[in-house]
Amino acid sequence: MLNVTINKQTIQVPEGTMILQAANKVGVTIPTLCHLENREPIGACRVCLVEVEGARTLVASCSTPVTEGMVVHTNSTLARNARRQVLELLLSEHDGNCQTCDRSGDCELRALAEEMGVTFLPYEGVKAKKKVDESTPALVRDNGKCVKCRRCVTVCNEIQGVGALFPQGRGFQTVIGPAFTRELDGVACVQCGQCAAICPVGAIVEKSCIPEVWKALENPGLHVIVQTAPAIRAALGECFGYEPGTRVTGKMAAALRRLGFDAVFDTNFAADLTIMEEGTELLTRLKKALVDKEEVALPMFTSCSPGWISFAEFYFPQFLPNISTCKSPQQMFGAVAKSYYASKIGKKPEELVVVSVMPCTAKKFEAQRPEMNSSGMRDVDYVLTTRELAKMVKEAGIDFKSLPDEDMDAPLGLSSGAADIFANTGGVMEAALRTAYEIVTGKALPVDNLHVKAVAGLDGVKEAALTIKGAKKEWSFLEGVELKVAVAHGLGNARRVLEHIKANGPVYHFVEIMTCPGGCVGGGGQPRFTDDSVRLKRIAAIYSEDEGKKMRKSHENPDIQTLYAEYLGKPLGAKSHHLLHTHYKAKEV
Amino acid sequence: MSVTGLKRIGSAKELAEWRERLNAKAPSAGVSGKRQILVCFGGSCLASGAKEVRDALQVALDLEKLGDRVALVETGCMGPCVMGPVVMIAEDRTFYQGVKPEDASDIIRQHICGGKRVERLLACDAAGKTPAPCRQEMEFFKRQTQVVLRNCGWIDPGKIGETVARDGYAALAKALSGMKPEDVVKEMEISGLRGRGGAGFPTWLKWNFARSSESPDGVRYVLCNADEGDPGAYMDRSVLEGDPHSVIEGMAIAAYAIGARQGYVYVRAEYPLAVERLTEAISQARACGLLGENILGTSFCFDLEIRMGSGAFVCGEETALIASIEGKRGEPRPRPPFPAHKGLWGRPTVLNNVETYANVAAIILKGGAWYAEMGTAKSKGTKVFALAGAVRNTGLVEIPIGTPLGEVVYDIGGGIRNNRSFKAAQIGGPSGGCIPRQHVNVPLDYEPLAELGAIMGSGGLIVMDEDTCMVDVARFFLEFVQEESCGKCVPCRVGTRRMLEILERICNGEGEEGDIERLEELGNFIKQSSLCGLGQTAPNPVLSTIRHFREEYEEHIRDRHCRAGVCAGLVRAPCLSACPAGVDVPGFVALVGDKRYAEALRLHRERNPFASVCARVCFHTCEDKCRRASLDEPVAIRGIKRFMVDQEVMVQVPEGRENADNAKRKVAVIGAGPAGLSCAYFLARMGYVPIVIEAEPRPGGMLVQAIPAYRLPREELAREVRMIEHLGVTIDTGRALGRDFSLADLREDGYEAVFLGVGAPLGVGLKVPGAHARGVTEAMSFLRQYNIRGSVPVGKRVAVIGGGNAAIDAARTAIRLGAQSVTVIYRRTREEMPAYAEEIEEALQEGVVVRTLVNPEEFVVEDGAVSGIRLRAMKLGEFDRSGRRRPEAGDGEGEILPADQVILAIGQALDNKALSGEIEVELDEKGWVKADRRTGATALPWLFSGGDAATGPSSVVEAIAAGERAAVAIDEMFTGAEHAFWRGYRDCGVGFDPYADPVNYAREKLHTMPLEKRRQNFAEVEQSWNEATAVRQARRCLRCDYGKQPCGC
Repeated sequence: MLNVTINKQTIQVPEGTMILQAANKVGVTIPTLCHLENREPIGACRVCLVEVEGARTLVASCSTPVTEGMVVHTNSTLARNARRQVLELLLSEHDGNCQTCDRSGDCELRALAEEMGVTFLPYEGVKAKKKVDESTPALVRDNGKCVKCRRCVTVCNEIQGVGALFPQGRGFQTVIGPAFTRELDGVACVQCGQCAAICPVGAIVEKSCIPEVWKALENPGLHVIVQTAPAIRAALGECFGYEPGTRVTGKMAAALRRLGFDAVFDTNFAADLTIMEEGTELLTRLKKALVDKEEVALPMFTSCSPGWISFAEFYFPQFLPNISTCKSPQQMFGAVAKSYYASKIGKKPEELVVVSVMPCTAKKFEAQRPEMNSSGMRDVDYVLTTRELAKMVKEAGIDFKSLPDEDMDAPLGLSSGAADIFANTGGVMEAALRTAYEIVTGKALPVDNLHVKAVAGLDGVKEAALTIKGAKKEWSFLEGVELKVAVAHGLGNARRVLEHIKANGPVYHFVEIMTCPGGCVGGGGQPRFTDDSVRLKRIAAIYSEDEGKKMRKSHENPDIQTLYAEYLGKPLGAKSHHLLHTHYKAKEV
Repeated sequence: MSVTGLKRIGSAKELAEWRERLNAKAPSAGVSGKRQILVCFGGSCLASGAKEVRDALQVALDLEKLGDRVALVETGCMGPCVMGPVVMIAEDRTFYQGVKPEDASDIIRQHICGGKRVERLLACDAAGKTPAPCRQEMEFFKRQTQVVLRNCGWIDPGKIGETVARDGYAALAKALSGMKPEDVVKEMEISGLRGRGGAGFPTWLKWNFARSSESPDGVRYVLCNADEGDPGAYMDRSVLEGDPHSVIEGMAIAAYAIGARQGYVYVRAEYPLAVERLTEAISQARACGLLGENILGTSFCFDLEIRMGSGAFVCGEETALIASIEGKRGEPRPRPPFPAHKGLWGRPTVLNNVETYANVAAIILKGGAWYAEMGTAKSKGTKVFALAGAVRNTGLVEIPIGTPLGEVVYDIGGGIRNNRSFKAAQIGGPSGGCIPRQHVNVPLDYEPLAELGAIMGSGGLIVMDEDTCMVDVARFFLEFVQEESCGKCVPCRVGTRRMLEILERICNGEGEEGDIERLEELGNFIKQSSLCGLGQTAPNPVLSTIRHFREEYEEHIRDRHCRAGVCAGLVRAPCLSACPAGVDVPGFVALVGDKRYAEALRLHRERNPFASVCARVCFHTCEDKCRRASLDEPVAIRGIKRFMVDQEVMVQVPEGRENADNAKRKVAVIGAGPAGLSCAYFLARMGYVPIVIEAEPRPGGMLVQAIPAYRLPREELAREVRMIEHLGVTIDTGRALGRDFSLADLREDGYEAVFLGVGAPLGVGLKVPGAHARGVTEAMSFLRQYNIRGSVPVGKRVAVIGGGNAAIDAARTAIRLGAQSVTVIYRRTREEMPAYAEEIEEALQEGVVVRTLVNPEEFVVEDGAVSGIRLRAMKLGEFDRSGRRRPEAGDGEGEILPADQVILAIGQALDNKALSGEIEVELDEKGWVKADRRTGATALPWLFSGGDAATGPSSVVEAIAAGERAAVAIDEMFTGAEHAFWRGYRDCGVGFDPYADPVNYAREKLHTMPLEKRRQNFAEVEQSWNEATAVRQARRCLRCDYGKQPCGC
């Protein structure tokens, strides 16, 4: 342990602690624009400068480890002035039109400028060159607003392992962006939006489709329905001042109804459907492999996360056959809504508008994929992020906090607890195991409270093994088989798993991959700012939502059973094959 | 040569035997056993044609059938790059410079065959004095100590045998066969070697950290930083090109010391020759078993690879360099962890630069104690500098650390080219700073340089003369770092840009009050807050120039004036900018070229009433800055002016603007010298009716009292004084301040503004024995007495003490008054004499003797009268604050110079008795009237001052300018606004074809009256040209003002 004195308070911290963390322990918050937890310090923004006695210069507290006897002043005139000057310089190059900026309300730069007392800019000069990239359906990048903090670069390269964003050029001409200053659609960007979630300013934001949704809602000739992904209910409240981890399912349903949606449905319904299809697919693959001795791609990967699909298409096309052919819940919902539901209410698919609310920016991309038009037209019309939904609620003048709790509509609104946990890492796996195990053995998954602890939590790669005992007759080939599963979240971790499989063969039977750290609760469209503590709170909320339900297994969902009975027939049947499954092809930039 | 024929050396003994065999040949012969002609193949010599010279020498050798007895050796850089291509004859070290292919046969026939040096090719350095017959006698080399450059220029870098013959790899053998790794580190500690990359971190300490840091797999790396990128620096490049094995050996020893098996040299792709020669050297070393597995039969294994960077300055920063080797974007990361702990691929890494490694082998071989004998207490050894800029001898020099800057500039560098004066040295490149003239004695060492705001850096040393604008220099370096910033951290990326924008504004004439403070604040902030060394030092060039040359920044901002004539936005033409009075030089020259003499003169007098006076006595800085000089010689501006004024028949009265209000104001000017009369002239043109009060019976001040009539005929002065009187100025002579009236009297008489232009009329005495003897006088009263009263006693043997214009004027006056001999005694050298060179020249023609480097110790007195001077021989010592060497008493007895009259011309002083009275005039620390340089304002709101009284003795044109500024300020005091209508830009209306070639007439001098005619009288010496000559000369002007908009200059 090392002794350090910060603003006259002496504490002990373990070796390797940075000044920034040590200061936090004595209740001193040092501002920063580039710092990211659990990452090597970037040291680019210099907003966290502090004075250390005996040091030649001011030091960046994010990257300077505490040494024995160090005396730190975070609040000296020198340190405060330096921090203010950094902000003055940043603002002097920033093409920030705060009045109209998407981030006006939660811009870290603007907030810091206020905190540091920046009241005028002593150094004016040329601004950063403005170049707006709207090439992708999911994201908008504006170089003029970029502060080159490199959080996005770190997330994209180190956490996601995608490498779509880099610093380029030198000096004042430095820009952050795709290689060779291309646009985002010219590189292997998976549009996960983690960059947008972490950007301190308005340089990367989701591409909004709020105006289109308003327009649809106001068109009396259209029947506009909405689906909300499992992760929304655990995060939307943050936009209205609730603590992270507050569930607002009922208020959300009420708000959507007030916004004018003709029916308020739940993506969770489609999640249950996904489990039916995907669980069956897994068992079928296992049968082919173990009984029919057919060449079949194992392990099977989940397919709910569109960023992961793009990642595989770009970087690991050899594993495309391993990916479940199931569409994601969003797209299953769209396909079912525009076929089954439309006919149920006597509308033509083109009279129906499907809006989804997603924690994700890649869903915007997914919705416009050419594969996703099983209804004969685009199955999902508009995708809003959690943040966009919050904006619409505010724009409509709805006092969110005073809304009553309401339920989702039938028939696409009822879901099991298994569907809820799709929102977090390990959730799809657990939901699938709950159903698959019961299909095979007729018994409930023999774990505490149906939770597969080994695959929960924020470890990057998690593994579990489950030995099947007491298989029903038709599944007797699985008796005594040790089912090996793995779960990865964050594409960097996914890459590790894939490399492991590439090197060691099919070491697992089933692998869940989620694009974003923490799963959808940490999605690129979720309220800012998301760090691990927020992720854990949202995850806890999701689990409590699950635990609060009586119906906790997808196959128990009576509306799902009705859907099969009335329309689809059986999982992996001809109709589901047409509506709910798809295939992917290798992609090149 | 390639690796063919090279054999693996199995042990230290085998290496020693090989060396013995190589050196067994005749002493002066090379390893080939032949006589050697060394041809410099350094980058600079190659660029100036070394290859062609080598080929021509080969042809000449073949012609003489000497091919098998004389070898041509292509060496690395020999050092004196400005003289290239250079060739050295090995046996007698004859150094030939500027060799051309056509010189080859002379060198071979006359020298190699005939044994006689080719005189015309011998190196002349240090101001082109006598040629030095051989290398060791060249001033350039005399003071150098070559450790790093020990082999550069002596060997063919492409042949490992030549290196081995000169002890190459002997240190490695010594380390491997007898020293433990810790012994090597210990030896480095004893040597005191500090990193030569710039920061000066002790090398042994770095090695020790890397040695003792834990590595996850035991892997450690040795890296060499060869990413030299400072503008003007090429030390590392020359070592790599000239002696690559010294770097390989140094790295191998470092690897042995820290336990590394692999090294990388990071070199920029812009150094293809260095890469080529290093690649060759590595493969030869590998072939000889000096790199690779089991070196010299020991268990030590080490190999080396080259990594090329694409030339990013920031990659000189160690963490950026490492990132670049790893294949990432070359930009720094925060430290700690330091590379010695976690460097390349996370392993402990030693990173030193080329020069540091090049020292290592010498240290290990000769011992750390040997190395530590050189240098200073804190910094041992030598340092290589790339000497560039305005010095005569540019090139690569290696000197013991602590050598004074002045020695490098003046002795090794041979002083400033074109007789300009030394202004500053920029040391350390873009991270460094400027050392001004007054600090020319600073030892070149890490700490003393840092104290002055510069850094040692990697060794770039750019010498600058008075033609360099310090604001522009700062702008240049900032532009460089601003472009080279990696863009990662905010202070460096945005801050340097903002600083550059401010500097660009200043250089464009758009500077604002507060800009200097903004630059300082930003600069200090950037230093404090940047991520890496680049940003932390980027503001240095700006901060150091502000620190030492703040007044130049102020001139740019307040006066819109660039004294060096560099900043395009401030300089309509350099001549115009150089003129203190702001005369539109290209304008009047063009008008003369167009034969519009009256208009030309009118244009001149817009800014300077004394056109005729200045045509004779001005020191014409305009000509010093004339851009035509870069083509052939400056335009003879003063000669053109002389012709112009000679065309005036009736005196032309310039534009004056009547103003009833101004006419009512009572304004007095004290002193009818150039300052006072100019002040009155410009006041009168604004409608004032000033009175000028003069102590002497005739107006003109120094123009009439001190400047002899042979330089300035009295009628010429009188004519221009009359012109001023025509404007309404009253001149009241014979009334002296302090004797006949006081400042208080003037106030009582209702004078609302007073300009004090009383000059510096008193001579300064000398405190030596005999100073009060009869016959000792001083120049001011000597000249005044003759010029005003018409006669002065003059001796037979006259000695004049001093080196200024007054000394020369007194000497030439004495000659004319019949002195048999006149000797001017000056304690420094002729080059340092402040008198105008042409005046000295004419004095010498007239028979004046100039004795330099002597100083009077005593005036010998007989019967109360002086009979001689005891002179002490002087020598030049250290540099003083003026950047000149301080004269010191030399050895030996003093000689006696017989003299019956001694005229002291060693300085002038204010008559401050006249200034003390009821109203006290505040003086500055040097004893001159304290007045604002820009306005002449003193502490008293109604009193203004200018000219010699306020600045000390200066030039006529400076006094005129001061008078003008004070007139404008006085008017501004009354009216609250500026009414200097003459200052605005006016088009001279003479066409100019910018596409036409410059006319090729040569510069001509003014004719002078024949010697025999002029020695006896005071008739004007200089004679005007005829019209054809004058017009031709005027048309030599390049019209730098063409197309330039008015800008306030």
